[in-house]
Amino acid sequence: MFCEESINEYGLPVFRMSFYLARYRDYFMNTTVKPSTLSSSAATVRSSTDLWNALPDAVRSVVLRLLVLGFLCFVLSLASDAFLTATNIVNVLRQAALLFLLASGVTLVVLTAGLDLSVGANVALSACLAATLLKSTGSIALTVSVGLGCGLLIGIVNGLLVAVVRIPPFIATYGMLWILHGITYWFMNGETIHGFPPAFRALGSGYYWGIPVPVFFMLIFLLAGVLFAQRTRWGQEIYAVGANPEAARLSGVPVKNRLILVYAVSGAMAGLASLIFLARLNSAEGDIGESLTLPAIAAVLIGGASLFGGVGSVFGTLIGALMLTLVLNGMNLLNIDASWQPVVTGVIVVLAVFLDKLTRKGDVR
Amino acid sequence: MHEVSYQPDTPYGMDRWMSRLRQCGSAGGALLALTVMCLVFALSTDTFLEVANLKNVAMQSTILLLVALPMTLIIMTEGLDLSIGAVLTLANVVLAMVAVSTGGIGLAFLAALAVGAAFGLLNGALVARLGIPPFVATLGTLGVAQGLALVATDGQSVVGIPDSLQFFYGGTWLGVPVPIWIAVVAYLVFHFVLYRTRFGAYIFALGGNREALTLAGVRARWYLVAVYVIGGVMAGVAALLLTSRISSGHPTAALGMEFDAIAAVAVGGTSFEKGKGWLLGTLFGVLSVGVLRNGLNLLGVSSAVQVSAIGLLVIAALMLDVLRGKHQ
Amino acid sequence: MTRSASPLLELRGISKRFAGVQALDDVSFELYPSEVHMLLGENGAGKSTLMKVLCGAHHADAGEFFYQGSPVKITGPADAQRLGIAVIFQEFTLVPYLSVAQNIFLGREPKGRFPGSVDHARMRADAQKIMDQLGMTLNPDTVVATLGVAQQQMVEIAKALSQEARILVLDEPTAALSDNETEKLFGMIERLKAQGVAMAYISHRMAEVFSMGDRITILRDGKKVGSRMPNETAPDELVSLMVGRQVDMSYARAFCEAPGELALRMRGVSANNGIHDIDLEVRAGEIVGLAGLVGSGRTEVARAIFGADVINAGSIEIFGKPQTGSPTHARRLGAALIPESRKTQGLALMRSVGENLLLASLPRVFPSGWFSPRKAAKQARALISRMRIATPGPGQRVQVLSGGNQQKVVIGKWLNAESRLFIFDEPTRGIDVGAKAEIFALLDTLVKQGAAVLMISSELPEIVNVCDRTYVMREGRIAGHLARGQMNEQAILTLGMHHA
Repeated sequence: MFCEESINEYGLPVFRMSFYLARYRDYFMNTTVKPSTLSSSAATVRSSTDLWNALPDAVRSVVLRLLVLGFLCFVLSLASDAFLTATNIVNVLRQAALLFLLASGVTLVVLTAGLDLSVGANVALSACLAATLLKSTGSIALTVSVGLGCGLLIGIVNGLLVAVVRIPPFIATYGMLWILHGITYWFMNGETIHGFPPAFRALGSGYYWGIPVPVFFMLIFLLAGVLFAQRTRWGQEIYAVGANPEAARLSGVPVKNRLILVYAVSGAMAGLASLIFLARLNSAEGDIGESLTLPAIAAVLIGGASLFGGVGSVFGTLIGALMLTLVLNGMNLLNIDASWQPVVTGVIVVLAVFLDKLTRKGDVR
Repeated sequence: MHEVSYQPDTPYGMDRWMSRLRQCGSAGGALLALTVMCLVFALSTDTFLEVANLKNVAMQSTILLLVALPMTLIIMTEGLDLSIGAVLTLANVVLAMVAVSTGGIGLAFLAALAVGAAFGLLNGALVARLGIPPFVATLGTLGVAQGLALVATDGQSVVGIPDSLQFFYGGTWLGVPVPIWIAVVAYLVFHFVLYRTRFGAYIFALGGNREALTLAGVRARWYLVAVYVIGGVMAGVAALLLTSRISSGHPTAALGMEFDAIAAVAVGGTSFEKGKGWLLGTLFGVLSVGVLRNGLNLLGVSSAVQVSAIGLLVIAALMLDVLRGKHQ
Repeated sequence: MTRSASPLLELRGISKRFAGVQALDDVSFELYPSEVHMLLGENGAGKSTLMKVLCGAHHADAGEFFYQGSPVKITGPADAQRLGIAVIFQEFTLVPYLSVAQNIFLGREPKGRFPGSVDHARMRADAQKIMDQLGMTLNPDTVVATLGVAQQQMVEIAKALSQEARILVLDEPTAALSDNETEKLFGMIERLKAQGVAMAYISHRMAEVFSMGDRITILRDGKKVGSRMPNETAPDELVSLMVGRQVDMSYARAFCEAPGELALRMRGVSANNGIHDIDLEVRAGEIVGLAGLVGSGRTEVARAIFGADVINAGSIEIFGKPQTGSPTHARRLGAALIPESRKTQGLALMRSVGENLLLASLPRVFPSGWFSPRKAAKQARALISRMRIATPGPGQRVQVLSGGNQQKVVIGKWLNAESRLFIFDEPTRGIDVGAKAEIFALLDTLVKQGAAVLMISSELPEIVNVCDRTYVMREGRIAGHLARGQMNEQAILTLGMHHA
């Protein structure tokens, strides 16, 4: 009932939007609609289903997710009084920001029909290295460079394994996951490092112009990510590589370089996320970051990216991150045992992929 | 017009086996790796080559073998089962709990098998009927199984297992330890099914050319579901050995074992594409993983680092595959 | 030849729609025993779809089936098999890592002693019997993945024949076969005719249609436009029915008098993909042909030039500059490759026409890295109108375009990259006759404007009519070169054949 209302209530503006879209649909929007339907959409749209079908795939997918997001907010505000409080909202945004930073890099990888399962372990190793360095030298600049550098390096190794050695991505990054995990454990030797200078902790817990720092980063990288994917030629090439790597290669696109690029970015974002995570937790030990991989991948898939490549967007991942964080937040507020969280995440991932398949019936793959 | 377009035929007999061997890629590599590792560990530790230790390696490899055999089949169908470790854990927990409450093994074993089969059915349904990529589907069921195990035990071990259960890991029959018997029987059954039955040929087809099966009038989807169900059931069987070995049910007992299983299959030469598989290779792979873990253990390396080493082993094996030009 | 009065299998009013495209529109089709019914039509006319409906691989939206006069339902492959329908597909239905025998009897394995097991010895013997009938000298235990394309096609044929079908569907069965093998297949077909088998045969080769066909049906745009007996018609009429208009098949062009600069020079090139010691030159203003039998290495040469495959001996120079072995570099030097299979190698099917058109020219059009959709759309629209690509706009998904238009998108992609050396690998494969003429006209325009073209084609008339001169390959080497005055089909064939 809620959804119907919103379509009818916004019927007029949506109608106008689709008219504009019909005019500027040449701007690279994937559409399976026949020309006759589009040219008559301005004149003969009668029911909301016609409208719905006239929208291009990518827009449809985002709108659907925004609606679900809105619905989730609505349900949660009813279910718990603590939901709509300032503290809680800030909390949710902060969590979602961290998740988004991690997932945004993975989005690029998934666009190329790959997967980066090592992000959680990447965060772990980068954070532990950074923490050790921070404790021993106290230099934030050095810590930040090491954290980022470590993440970037791991990403480049992943990229080399996938692009040059040609190991299937999920195996390569799955193997790296365990390798990094082992290195981190060995490095930390069971110890915990905690107590960082306030200037560093501000990265995770501080505010900037009233916005939590992590959320600030989220907004920056949302903009950067969207611009990179949609408004640079590298972004176009990455989508092409995901859609058909052989055709891209035979069109002169340097596929190997692009693959290494996306894994490197994913690694670097993991490095960034590790710093913020470290700052927020104010401690580091061998098994941090372990619980981040599944939610990161979940966020990407919920956001509409296809595991087969060529489909997805950074904005979609943001919505996915928000949705997942809301659900987990809701579970916390309702005092549901934390052990259920991986279960719920797992179920949501499967549902998201299933729904995605349903809405993409006419696809090549 | 007289054009010669044939390539030389593969002859009968010994040469046929040789070409089969060559086609299975790095299985030769697995054997090589195994020998090298045995040598290295024999030289660097005093205890590796002792009979007791080797027996230990064999015993501990049996559980992995029970799980790696169905994993081979699943991977041959271009699939993956990431949940098998978690399902094994859950089956272990369930078996322990039922055994403690009934005092006997029979019902407990059935319960474990049921749990395994249920998750196998779930995986199969998600992959074959809903068309969800196996990776995602089993990642999801992994979460579910893991969560359920935690919830059911409240994070604690289940103790008080009836002594009769000891037989399945510690007991012997005709002088040979029971787990070895179970492993051998399992291997023989899988070998028979894969190479001598219709079902086995269909597994090759599921990975190599699924449409060919459908066009031949075969219900391809059901066979795909069956492959995952077998995985679940074998997890149930393995739970029997596991519970016997650790004499309890623990919610994190076998988490992560799927990695060892995948590693074993990969090192053994089963390709991740196109329906190519070699059971004997998996056996070598399982032994490789077992030897690696054992040797590193003797050298005092922590288990987390052992996993890193296995990861490196897998990557090395896959690199060898690529260098031989298997991946196109 | 005795012809029975009533059809063995009849399809009436079959319609089928796929994602917005009407693939079949009220088509009726009859198969009589002891007859070969030829099915002709351009690519996308609906021939393969009709056959797939017949064998149960697709479910028709509307229509009825009649077997020996009584209505039947064909809802899946099992139903079709029960009616005795067997198909030889164009895309292989072979399982790579099973043996020949296992592939032939997939789904129909002889039962062994244990429930579920297979009697391998009997399967091997049965397979050998069928292979003997076809004159195949393979070992039935050979793993199919090790076989060449022609052999795999023969296994596919053996598989269909082993079903002892009463109705056999052949979808371009001779596409990958040598003349020798084609003869054996035709012999088989004659034998089957004598046994009363009804056959539906899809072909693009006029010679086959008239020599083997007893009845001809022509499809166009999903509709049946005509049915003829071979002795009442001629190729021209069939072609005009297929295309719907008169078509000039001679592709006349003014040949190159004064070739320009050296666009491509290959010296002593050998590569792991099977080519040896290739010496080749192409100059601006020329269309140079590269002829040879299927499997003689022509595509491999094209790939080597473009850097898609790495060479291990010799040198390749594009406009005087050495090529370093990557497609990116080859593109930068001005080379363009229009590959053999445009769907898998030339286009990203799920992306739009515009995205595909710009794919090879992104660095040139957007040197700073910043991508402007408006500029891209403008360029795309210009290309679409210049090449007359039939699409409502650059936003259309390329998957739904017809074969000819898809090929134009691939060519357009390279035009936008300002390429000057074009390597075409089977430019008109799977393209209707009308679009073929357009493409050749385009090639002519390109070279008149100073580009150089190397054209690989298996259609000898095309080579003879369009190319200024041609190289002929045989077994991975250049067997010879023919200048304008020496070029005719006989000469090309002679050079390309293996001398016994």
